[in-house]
Formats: sequence, structure tokens, C-alpha cells
Amino acid sequence: MKALIKDYLKNFKGNRYFWAGLVMTLMILLIAVVGYFWTPYSTTEMSATERFQAPSFRHLFGTDNFGRDIFSRVMKGIGTTVFISSLVVILSGAAGIVIGALTGYFGGIVDEIVMRITDAINGFPSILLGLVMITLMGSGSHNLIVSLAIVFTPSYVRIVRSEFIKLRDADYIKRARLMGVGHIRILFVHILPNIFSVFWASMMIGFNNAILAESGMSYLGIGVQPPDASLGKMLSDAQGYLMTAPWYALSPGLAIVWIVLGFSLLSEGIRRLQE
Amino acid sequence: MIKIENLSVAFEETLAVNQLNLEIFDGEILGIVGESGSGKSVTALSVMGLLSSEATIKGGSIRMGEDWLIKDGKAQDKERLRKAQGNRMSMVFQEPMTSLNPTQKVGGQVDEVLLLHTKMEAQERYDKVLEAFKSVGLKNVEKVYDSYPHQLSGGMRQRVMIAMAIILKPELLIADEPTTALDVRVQNQIIQVLRNINKEQKTSMLFITHDLNLARRICNRIAVMKDGKLVEIGPTEEVFGNPKEPYTRKLIEAVPSRVKEKEDAPECTEEVSVNILEVRDLNIYYHEGSNSLFGQKKKRCVVENATFTLEKGETLGLVGESGCGKTSLCKAILGMNKLVEGEVKHFSTRPQMVFQDPYSSLNPAKTIGWLLQEPLRAAGKLDPACKMTDADMKAAAYDMLQKIGMPEKYFNRWPSQLSGGQRQRISIGQALITRPGLVIADEPVSALDVTIQAQIMELMQKLQEELQLSYLFISHDINVIYKMSDRIMVMKDGKIVEIGDKEVLFTNPKEEYTRLLFAES
Repeated sequence: MKALIKDYLKNFKGNRYFWAGLVMTLMILLIAVVGYFWTPYSTTEMSATERFQAPSFRHLFGTDNFGRDIFSRVMKGIGTTVFISSLVVILSGAAGIVIGALTGYFGGIVDEIVMRITDAINGFPSILLGLVMITLMGSGSHNLIVSLAIVFTPSYVRIVRSEFIKLRDADYIKRARLMGVGHIRILFVHILPNIFSVFWASMMIGFNNAILAESGMSYLGIGVQPPDASLGKMLSDAQGYLMTAPWYALSPGLAIVWIVLGFSLLSEGIRRLQE
Repeated sequence: MIKIENLSVAFEETLAVNQLNLEIFDGEILGIVGESGSGKSVTALSVMGLLSSEATIKGGSIRMGEDWLIKDGKAQDKERLRKAQGNRMSMVFQEPMTSLNPTQKVGGQVDEVLLLHTKMEAQERYDKVLEAFKSVGLKNVEKVYDSYPHQLSGGMRQRVMIAMAIILKPELLIADEPTTALDVRVQNQIIQVLRNINKEQKTSMLFITHDLNLARRICNRIAVMKDGKLVEIGPTEEVFGNPKEPYTRKLIEAVPSRVKEKEDAPECTEEVSVNILEVRDLNIYYHEGSNSLFGQKKKRCVVENATFTLEKGETLGLVGESGCGKTSLCKAILGMNKLVEGEVKHFSTRPQMVFQDPYSSLNPAKTIGWLLQEPLRAAGKLDPACKMTDADMKAAAYDMLQKIGMPEKYFNRWPSQLSGGQRQRISIGQALITRPGLVIADEPVSALDVTIQAQIMELMQKLQEELQLSYLFISHDINVIYKMSDRIMVMKDGKIVEIGDKEVLFTNPKEEYTRLLFAES
């Protein structure tokens, strides 16, 4: 067993994607956690005298149109955005696994119906669909999470379902059935570990999409509500001052790029590890 | 004709072909035999110039007549090379399924060869293609011309491939396991076709196979390869009759032969025979037609009126061409097919199955130890009386590892770290750990090398004795069946043609079909 772990650890060395991604992601998580408890300035306190300050040692990323410290707001915003996207991915991923596994493995009429529903959901652009749902349910970050999770679920259902269809007739699954292993155990103990790598990759991509979707929604003003900070919300507020205060748009924008890049690198690194 | 001198080909650091010297004479059929990984195919691909980009030629030369194809480890002028390789030699691959384009009619695909290499008119090409089809023994050539690959059987597809390969009248035809994917009977027809081409068109052939019996039947000379090196070369009968190298002898001995009898022949222990499986008037159906939501479903009978019994401790061999219903019969016996009529009674706890492909029959996400314990866990869940403690299950798994001849250190390994033969051992262990009385083995050795084949068969026989097992043993290889079985059952088109004692069946078959089947191998 020891040799096995050693073997496994050896693969980590020289995997630059993994390490670069890990460092970038850990930094983001650190900022998010610290930002939850402490920020250099209050994120909501306004100051008429300090509007549109350019970046300086006093305000690292400058200040916005209300005189709020942008660095503090980015710290908070990262927390909000990462929290929302993680929850969206976890919820939609879990729903995707359960629905995809059952429909893919058992097939039949339920499978047909579920697939037509996912086709219908896939038929709309996801942002548009999220928009409709938010309008129906009302805005706010909880509703944002639920609606994005619903929008994201079909893609996971499809991926999981196709993997289960592929594996349900594999010889080793047939043999498990012959041994008398129950269906639920076959689904989640025998098949699920085998689709992990595919599912993991799609979770990673989904996470990035969720960040972008959250930012997009908040940008449109239907996600996180003021005065809470979110990266997308800040970006949309900064839009009007792009010429006069470019740093306002730059800092949340860079934060989004940083998160997405870090996570993409990490997922690529993990994918390479599994090969 | 072709002269290979000191050829070395490497994949990264490992040498796939090592200092090989080989000559193919005009008009002869040279066979290269060896286990997988011995460098047979790589040799052929180097001659054809079809090596993949990971392979590098380390040294040596290949000459065709007066032309150098490879000289001192360097490929010669590409344009000339391609011309030589396109016009003067061609190749037939193992998989007739994947070597034809499924979206085009086969006639068009053969026609394309002529279109690219000759200046013939359309009508002339058409006639030529039909002529080639006839020469490889295809009937109804006009109809074949307009067929898509999926409308043809495996044998017909392979004939089309051969037609495509010989239509330009090449001087050298390389056949890489051309019959491995085919049934015995079709195999023989294809061999006959190749032999005719060799005789009539004086085409030299390089015949690559792992099947020694096959090589013996078609080749003039045989070259035995091992680990990229040439072990022995000589006229076929000399190599087989009087092998000089120990490795050659080992290979030949590993081939299951009908001359060699099972050693424990005296079976005078006439106990009261107990049937472990009784099948009576079994009909098996399949749903045919579209499996979409509104598709109309039709029932099609795949096995008709099957009646037989299997005694305790006995091995019943089941032979027949693919599609004759062997696998359907197994599935029905195991209860995996619900569309049946008739009676299946087995007096055994949960009969188990061993599959053909060792690479897909073990769950790649689990360790060997886990895999061996899973049947016990499942049994415990189904019947609380069989419930075992974790320590007991672990002990049972270690015990089984030892029984199947695997070292204990494999307990924590993953299936991907095992070879095909080792995986098949684990499969067998997994099937046997709950001590079923009946095991159905569906071509368990067909995907393995001859030497490994012999080991697995030996293991199965040893375990049969130890654990009082009954086997229903399926194979298309008559020699394997002969080695393993006590009685043999012959199937054709869903019907049981003949069933009886192995010796009786071999020496005095009642049915014409049985006789044909046995005569051809």
C-alpha cells in the first residue's frame, strides 16, 4: 500500500498545471476566507470625499463612485461569487448524477421523457433561461443559485447518462449482476467510480461557466443585490466609468480571469494525473 | 524479392524489432508466428512504410528487388517509396469491420483504388472490380458491388478487403492476422482464397499470425519471432516436425492438439451422475426492429427447442459459428434473457460466467482484493446466512489468489497493472469464490496467446477437480474444445445439431455439419 501511495505522489512532481492551478486557487480561497471576516475598509461605507481615487497605497485598487474601497469589495465579491458558483455546481452535479444514472442505467419511457425535457432546457441560451426563472422567483442570491442550478443540470444529466449507457452493458457489470449485486450498489459502487474522471472534468468546466453566469446575471442586475458585492455586479457598475476610472472595471475583471484560469489549470492538472 | 537486413525498430527506448534478417522469395508464402508483442506486425508495417510516428527505425535496411526501401536506417525517397508500396505491395488487416468505410458502398471503395492508380475508363474499372470479386470467391458480384459494409458478413468483408488488396496485382501481399476475427469455416475459405491467389497470380505473401495450426496449413516457410528477434526460420514441415530452438518447441507444444489426450484419461469412477443443469424445450427470442419509443417490436426466435443436460463435474463443450445462438443460450441459462419459453433448471447456487475479453471483464476502478471480495459481499446481502466478517472475506480472497496461481502481492493492485492472462485468472477467481457448482465460460481463452491459453486451460481443469465444478465451455476453436470437454454439443442456426461424447463425435459424427466443422480445423 505504501508503495502505491508513493507511486501516486510521484505523479504530482513535474505536473506544472496542477501546481500552478493549486497555488492560484488557494490564493483565491484564502482571499475569500479572509474577506469574510476582515477587509481593510468597510465594503459598504460611502465617502463623498474619496470618490474615484486612483490606485494608491491607501486604496490598493482605488475607490469607486461611492468612495468605497475597491480592494475590500473585490475581497468580498470573490467570496460571494465563489460561494454561489460552488453551490450551483454541487447542486446541479448531484442532481445530474442521480438523474443521469437512473435514466441511463434503466432506460425506458422515463428516460425518453427526461431526455426531451433536457433537450427543451438546452434549447434556450442558459442566461436567458436563468433570466426567466429569476423573474418568476424574484431576484436575490438564493434564487440565483437555484435557477442557475436548474439551468446547469441538463448538461450533467447528459454526460452522466451517456457514460452509464456505455458501462451498463460492460462485461464486469454483467458479472456483478450475476453475483447478485443490487441495482443501487451497481449504480453507485460499481459504475460511478468509473465515470469519475469524465464527470470531474465537466464539473470543472461547469464551475468556470457558473462563475461567468453569476457574473453575467449580476451584471444584468438580477443576481446579487446592492449593497452586497459580487464580481459581476461590480463589473456592471464600473461600466459607466470605463473612461474616467478604468481601474474600477479592471480589478473585478482581473479577479474573474484569475479564478477561471486557476481553476482551469487545476482541472487540467488533475486530468493529467488521472491518465 | 524482399530482403530485410539487420532491421531494428524502436518505440521510445524499447526495441520492438531487434536486428532482424529475413528474406521473402518470389511466389512463396512466408509465415511469421509469435506471441503478441513479438514484433510480427511491426516488421510488416516497416515493409509497408506504415509505421506510426512513435516508432523510429534504428538501423538496417529493406530492399525490394533492386529498390531500397530503407537503407542504413533511413527511409529512401518518399515519392518513389510510396509508388513502390502502393503498386507493388498491399496489405490485408485483421479487422474487416474497421478497414472499410461504413458510409460508402464497397464497390466504390475498390473502384477508388483503380481510379487513383490507373487510367482506366469507368466501365473498364467496373468490370475489373467484378472480376476481382469473382477471383476471391464472392458470389452475386453485382449485388456485392452495391452493398454497404454492414450488409456483408465478416467473411465477405474480408474477401472484399482481399479483392481490394490484389486488384493492382501486387508482387507482395502482406496479411496481418487476416482470419483471426472470423469463424473457423470462414477462416478456411479465406485461406483457400489466399492460396489460390498465390498459385494463380504468383503473388508472394507475408502471412502474420499467432495461430500455429493456421500457419502450418498455408505457409511454405515459417519464421518464429520472439521479443523482436528471429528465433528460427525454415520450411514449414521442418520447423514443426523438428524444431531446433526450445522456444519453438514450447510454442508448438502449447497448441492444443487433438492427438494429445487429457492425461487423467481413466475415468472409471462411475459415481451416480447428478445433473447440475437441465434444459428442456428451450426457445429464446429477441426483440427485433427499432428500439425507439414508438417502434413496433417483433419477436425473433434465436434458439429453438434446446434440450440438454449437464452433469456434476462434467465439461460440456459448445461449438458453432458466431450468430448460431451460443451466447443467447448462455444468457438464458443465467437468467439474463427474459424472453424465453421452456424449462431451465439448475441445481447450483448462482451459476457464474467467465467472459472472453479479459480487458473488459474486471472493473478498472477497483483493486483486485476488492473485486475478489465483492461476490461474497453480494452473497451476504442476498442471504444473511452467508454473511461473512471482513476478516473472513479477506482470508477467502487471499486463499483464492493462491488457488488461481497469483502471488499475494497482487491483492492491492489494479486491473490495469495486469496482463491479459492474469486478468483472466482473476476473472475465474471472482467467478469461483462463492463456490458455484456451474460455471459458463464464453470463449475464455480466445483472446489469449497460445502459451497463456494452455496455462488458463490447465488452471480451469485443476480447479474443476478441486472444487467439483461443471463447465459449459464455449469456443470456436475445435482443438480447445477437444482438450477441455467430456462431451460436445454442436449448434447451428439456433438448433442443437448433435450432442455426444467427445471421442464418438470426433471419430464418428452423425451429422454432415459436424463432420465439416471438425474436418476444417
